[in-house]
Amino acid sequence: MSDNKGYIGFACAYTPLPIIYAAGYTPYRILPMGDSPDQAGHILHDNLCPHIKRILDRAMGNDLPDLAGMVFMNSCDAMRRLADAWHRVRPDINMILIDLPATTDEIAVSFFTGEISKLIDAVSEWSGKKTGIADIEYGILLYNQISDFMNELTEKTYGGKTNTSVSVLQKLFNRSVTGSPISFIEDARRILSENEQGKATKGGVPVFLFGHVLPDPEAFLLFESSGAKIIGDDLCTGSRFFNPVATDGKKGIVENLAESILLRPPCARTIDITMPGKIGNVMISKAKKIGAHGAICHVVKFCDPYLSRMPSIREEFRKAGMPLLVLEGDCTLRSIGQQQTRIEAFIEMLR
Amino acid sequence: MMLQYFKDLESGIAAKIKENPDIPNARRKYALEVSRLGTRLYSGENSVAWCGVTAPFDLLSAMGVTSCFVEFIGAMLASTGAIGTFLDHAEHSGYASDICGYHRSVLGSAKQGLMPVPDFLIATSCPCSGGLAVMENLAEMFKKDLFVLHIPQDESGKNVKYLADQIEQMTGFVSAHTGRPIDEDALRMAIENTNLARELMKEVFELASHVPSPTNGHDLSNFGIVMALLLGTEAGVNISKAYRDEFAARNREMKPGMPGEKHRLMWIQNRIQFRSPLDKLLREQYRANIVVDELNSITWEPIDPDDPYTGLARRAISIPFNGTIRRRVNHLQKLALSYKIDGAINPCHRGCRQGAGARGLISEGLKEIGIPVLNLEVDVVDPRDFAEAQLSTRIEAFIEMLDART
Repeated sequence: MSDNKGYIGFACAYTPLPIIYAAGYTPYRILPMGDSPDQAGHILHDNLCPHIKRILDRAMGNDLPDLAGMVFMNSCDAMRRLADAWHRVRPDINMILIDLPATTDEIAVSFFTGEISKLIDAVSEWSGKKTGIADIEYGILLYNQISDFMNELTEKTYGGKTNTSVSVLQKLFNRSVTGSPISFIEDARRILSENEQGKATKGGVPVFLFGHVLPDPEAFLLFESSGAKIIGDDLCTGSRFFNPVATDGKKGIVENLAESILLRPPCARTIDITMPGKIGNVMISKAKKIGAHGAICHVVKFCDPYLSRMPSIREEFRKAGMPLLVLEGDCTLRSIGQQQTRIEAFIEMLR
Repeated sequence: MMLQYFKDLESGIAAKIKENPDIPNARRKYALEVSRLGTRLYSGENSVAWCGVTAPFDLLSAMGVTSCFVEFIGAMLASTGAIGTFLDHAEHSGYASDICGYHRSVLGSAKQGLMPVPDFLIATSCPCSGGLAVMENLAEMFKKDLFVLHIPQDESGKNVKYLADQIEQMTGFVSAHTGRPIDEDALRMAIENTNLARELMKEVFELASHVPSPTNGHDLSNFGIVMALLLGTEAGVNISKAYRDEFAARNREMKPGMPGEKHRLMWIQNRIQFRSPLDKLLREQYRANIVVDELNSITWEPIDPDDPYTGLARRAISIPFNGTIRRRVNHLQKLALSYKIDGAINPCHRGCRQGAGARGLISEGLKEIGIPVLNLEVDVVDPRDFAEAQLSTRIEAFIEMLDART
């Protein structure tokens, strides 16, 4: 088993990476970073999520490795439109849009299992070789290892049990989704040893960070330089990404994968019908559990799933007596930097 | 406030119809049923369900539930001119001003206690994730149970069965809340009414494509989307019949809806719901007739009364806002060609990620068949920052361009 057939791009944290790997490809997450010129607004709309626009900007600006294919998840309107626009600007690249249920009940898991099967067929066609169950099992085992490694490292880092800084942790999160998974753990150890000594924040006010995408390691340095000590996160470019897949043989391997993805800590777009609007409470529980004095919510502009739920999230935090700072950004470090005074004032208030 | 508004509207329109009962009165009959629906929603006397746009309203009607998509309320608030208060309230409550105006106004209205408390809610994943979010918000505010219908992107694989199973499951959810099991005869009758209305609406749209068109640019405004709420009922059949008769007569008697029709236009997605001078400008100054709206078409096959859930599932999947933009563009191209339009206007409803987010691709798609598109920047329910002068200038330039092409 190897991933030497090249890269397959993806954009959403709900993407089933073990399938891509099982077909012989390296999954490559197109993170909303870099300096590609703003062009996406002409094809999409300026009032669309900057996460999506920056991914399209990278495609239009050829700021990507060679891709053998692209996997999109129908996780929200913006992602759906990104898939359409991608097809228009990069018709040379194979692509597939996988549907993603908004709920996580049994019927949704069953449907999503079918969608993953469609992905298996697609990547098999792209690679010219049928992706077998043994390949998928291997892919799952590999990503389970990465998941275990990252979850342990995350816990230690946020718990202050290593010298790793949160910005280095973020570098590793980024590396885990943009390079070969087979050499990830080895690479991760090297990155850790290069960055290890004396880098972790010793002081700072303990804060929980949650929201949408925040992949830039520099952003974490900025929080730290403002007096915060990030002790936990719920970001789709952070700890929310990894959730080990059950391999106990009780269900089919593809169904296990579907269940693990749908049941991972949810993005705001996923609804639990038994508890509408629960995201605020979930975030408060997480923040309290780790002993945070306050929370920072980072959302990108025009992200309906988050923006529509913000009043409810704010209200829950208010009721729980947990201070909350909401930052709206456009995926650039500059947009967070402009709010540094607000971050500093928030941290001062928490002291 | 809204109950009184709908009651007054209902009695006023009924009186107008009485004045001249022998003519089809299509638009008035449509408006009458809209006001009756509003009255039923706000009277407090019925089982009420707030829903997403692609919920099966005929099935819910057969189960004795007055159901409505929440965007309808946003449109009504805009048409009454009262929407600004609700938008302000939503924004002051923390809802970002760049989320969809329909949803903001509904949330503002609910926050102020002016939305009827439903018995339950049924969200649909199509047409938009913003719509799902508002339904989750309302379920939380009202402390009522929520059912989510996930509408797949197309009919491939087991998608139809998946949705049909969800709809069947939904009937159990509804029965559990109303205490009434589904009445198979009532459902059959509703499906037959739906199929009858479907045939009549198809005829209406075919008649409207005549050159010159029997519609005046306003007759069928909001028709396709609102008729979804009346499917399954006799009222839905009667309205469709009235339109069919009225348009057939106008074509037969060569009395076009807009005498001197000069340019034929297509309106993409939703109309501007508040009073705006643009309608008059198009109609009177430029003789530009909106002969077709994107949602004024039948995209689904008749529903088999012996297997209703499958047909209802296919219908929900078929709406143009679902699936890829290529699919939507194909639909728009088909409408453009059959209605022989000269140009299209896309309001690019601000805050609509699924719709406005595709504006560039839609423009390109229509350009493929030589149809120019005017992309405006309007929040179709929010009159507070309506830039009349700028929009008029852009329309003027667009019409000049159309003039130059003729």
